[in-house]
Amino acid sequence: MLFDDVKTVVGGALQIDGRVQEMDAAAPLLGAVPELDSIAVVSLIAALEEHFGIAVADDEISASTFATLGSLTQFIERKLSR
Amino acid sequence: MSSAFFLPVESGHRFCIYHPSVRDGAGLGIVYAHPFCEEMNKTRRMAALQSRRFAAAGYAVLQIDLFGCGDSSGDFADARWEIWKQDLQVALGWLKSRVRGPLGLWGLRLGATLAADVARDPTMGIEHLLLWQPVSTGEQFLTQFLRLRLAAEMLAEGNAQSGVRELRETLRRGVPLEIAGYDLHPLLAAKIDALSLADLVPAVARVHCLEVTAMAEPKLSPASQRAMEGWRMKGLDVRAMAVRGEPFWSTLEVTECEPLLAATESSLKGAY
Repeated sequence: MLFDDVKTVVGGALQIDGRVQEMDAAAPLLGAVPELDSIAVVSLIAALEEHFGIAVADDEISASTFATLGSLTQFIERKLSR
Repeated sequence: MSSAFFLPVESGHRFCIYHPSVRDGAGLGIVYAHPFCEEMNKTRRMAALQSRRFAAAGYAVLQIDLFGCGDSSGDFADARWEIWKQDLQVALGWLKSRVRGPLGLWGLRLGATLAADVARDPTMGIEHLLLWQPVSTGEQFLTQFLRLRLAAEMLAEGNAQSGVRELRETLRRGVPLEIAGYDLHPLLAAKIDALSLADLVPAVARVHCLEVTAMAEPKLSPASQRAMEGWRMKGLDVRAMAVRGEPFWSTLEVTECEPLLAATESSLKGAY
């Protein structure tokens, strides 16, 4: 399932594997996960690009994309369906 | 016992840590080139661990903070690729007078790419080039670095206010950029942007290229694989391998990668 894939990539990139497995789609990321600083955001984007074979555009680096695990999964879903 | 000192250079002084070998200068002498900006801070531990292991195995190691980095003199805003190359050349010269064995040059991430560039000069007399997770494509590396600014804008204002392309344009106009607390000079950025590891064919006896990956069956990244294949085609003796571990140069917490330390030691075994 895509959601589980996203969870795994987020957990790996932010080194919060244990915690992320407890999170659901509505769980907030930005502002709620202290690990998510600018370096972590860039690492996470690179990890998502590599894992899913997508390219994230500059204007997609926005708080709405990274708001929750669910919004991030929807974003990946849209990228993959293009 | 390792010792810290300032190495005098033309434009000031460079902070160095010297790890003499337990064999009193009989083995390989290795100079270490650190990675760029925040990656340097994240990787101090791994660099120190490997240096100590080298020293215990009979190799002498000199770690140098490049111009404008760490505790060395100079502002990062004034740092240039050529100055960093000169720093490594001075460090190699210093070490050469202290060891009887051959010379090695070791670098991590952008430091590895810098090391390859320095090792192109056959008069440096470098026998072993050790690359840890080299930056294969400077353009991609710079994009990731510029993205730090976009990410910071997103965290502060909800959306990236600029774009990587606009930031590159700004640099091209000769305007320095502040990225993640570092003042990036347009000339340094342009140099990094144009880097291609494959083109930096070193004049050494052997290349050791080691990478860390989260994959269950570790293998070299495609970009590094291509660069190493190219070097082999040019007749270079390349030993390349990947080990499983976390990307310790970018992880939030300082992490260690024991498999990399072990693989490095075994790759260099018998190298003196």
